[in-house]
Amino acid sequence: MNTKDIIVGILLIIPFVAYFAIPTYNRVNPAIGGLSFFYWYQTLWLAISALLFGIAAYIIDKGVKE
Amino acid sequence: MIDTVEISVFLVFFIVFIAIGFLAKNFRKGNLNQLPEWALGGRRLGTFLVWFLVGADLYTAYTFIAVPSSMYSVGSVYFFAVPYVSLAFAIAMLTMPKLWAIAKEKGYVTAGDFVKDRFNSESLAIVIALTGIVAELPYIALQIVGMRAILTALLHPVGGNVTLISNIALVLAFLALIAFTYTSGLRGASLTAVMKDIIIFTTVIVVIVVALVAYHSAFTTAFTVKPVYADLPPKLYNAYWSLFLMSAAALYLYPHAINGSLSSMSAKKLRLSTALLPIYGIGLAFLALFGVIVYGIPAAESALKIYPSSIQGALVVPTIIASVTPQWFTGFAFLGIFIGGLVPAAIMSMSQATLLTRNVIRYVNRNLEEKRETFIAKLSMVFFQLLALGFVFIVPETYAISLQLIGGIIILQTLPAVFLGMYVKHLEKYAIAAGWLAGIASGVYFEIYSNFVYLHYSIIKTTLMPSAFGLIFVGLTALVINLVVVVIGTAIVYAMHKQPNISKEKA
Repeated sequence: MNTKDIIVGILLIIPFVAYFAIPTYNRVNPAIGGLSFFYWYQTLWLAISALLFGIAAYIIDKGVKE
Repeated sequence: MIDTVEISVFLVFFIVFIAIGFLAKNFRKGNLNQLPEWALGGRRLGTFLVWFLVGADLYTAYTFIAVPSSMYSVGSVYFFAVPYVSLAFAIAMLTMPKLWAIAKEKGYVTAGDFVKDRFNSESLAIVIALTGIVAELPYIALQIVGMRAILTALLHPVGGNVTLISNIALVLAFLALIAFTYTSGLRGASLTAVMKDIIIFTTVIVVIVVALVAYHSAFTTAFTVKPVYADLPPKLYNAYWSLFLMSAAALYLYPHAINGSLSSMSAKKLRLSTALLPIYGIGLAFLALFGVIVYGIPAAESALKIYPSSIQGALVVPTIIASVTPQWFTGFAFLGIFIGGLVPAAIMSMSQATLLTRNVIRYVNRNLEEKRETFIAKLSMVFFQLLALGFVFIVPETYAISLQLIGGIIILQTLPAVFLGMYVKHLEKYAIAAGWLAGIASGVYFEIYSNFVYLHYSIIKTTLMPSAFGLIFVGLTALVINLVVVVIGTAIVYAMHKQPNISKEKA
């Protein structure tokens, strides 16, 4: 295990931690346009996940030739 | 009133769709008599096309019909589809580029090919291949439920024998599908996937904007009508995480997802497109919310009431689209959802056919020529598409999500062989086979127990089972049992031999 693997591992695990912590987001307020926190928070995490995974992919492939 | 505009727009775009499907055979030309060319597009798809192709497996009738339907009829627990999408791609990032590299080096086309070499067992490969084929069937059936829902919404205002006309239209659509997947293979599926997703993205954005402009307090109204939908009842926490974790683990075990990944040009391109796939899920989240917002749009809610309650759930998304957009747009959007079932059905049946020829028929007939192998693959694909069509008559529409989850319970039992097989060195094939058997048997048992014994249903409505921890997904229990057997089995083999993998199968 080198530093690169550890960083990639952490990036991939973050969304698991976020989504498994159900009591932290199982709330109605603050709502956006009447939509509960429960729904928009989890949707927001899709965008965050794509960002984290994108960074992970970049780190893995940096310097690797196809 | 007959919606001529709606139906005409639908038909015109359907013709365009079929034309793209046929013309795709000239895309990145290859010899379509070779299986990797036909089934994997010659492993020449870039980041963009793999993103659409794998995304196409995600944006299916599951997304448009099954998830909104469950949200509408059961509530917030079915929002599990959102975390599922994010976590599935984290798992894919770890497993698929590695499988791609192994497959490229050794010329594998399926997960069965990998299992055969890894465990030195053709029998285990056949078991894995057949599990994949069976797991796809309910998933394809779900696509057909979605397509039928669209036809019902499209034709209901016309009147007459809607069921009969829908079934005829469905058969015709399937014949068109069979014709172009037969000629163009995965190239046809990936190019039509791009068309389908452009229509879907447009639809989701337009409908959400239009609905919220016209009914700006729709969510507030909906949560007033259904307060329990506003968040997740704490007694369903274990149901929620077991559903999203197991669905995520299952997605990339499905043969169609593996096919899609292996069609990538390089491991690097595959990794990037996989990383960006959660973005696809944002549309899924909005569509899931259609199942809630419908309670806040009186026009849609009353339009839904004209249908029998058994199919209302499946018609949530079509009804909202029809109530908030003009006829021409409704026709366009309906076509998007219709081919949103058709394209994944094509990809899924193609992956079943590939498994059957590579890992089952080849075992029976070892001297199979390449051209003949591909021909058998094409023929069996037609067979699977027709077999799945048969599900049309036995599926309860509103609980269609159970179809995908049943597929999940089945395919999860291949996890030890495929995912652990890639990363854990000391696994023994007999232990893997015993684990598979224990997983499948317990999964089937708990599924039957929950629906028919515990809840006294006469059809399958749920994949959650009662337990000491409240309701949990059957797939989790079955996989845990499977893994326990694999670990104990491997330990026993170790105790008996010093080098477990030395015992080669006498095949």
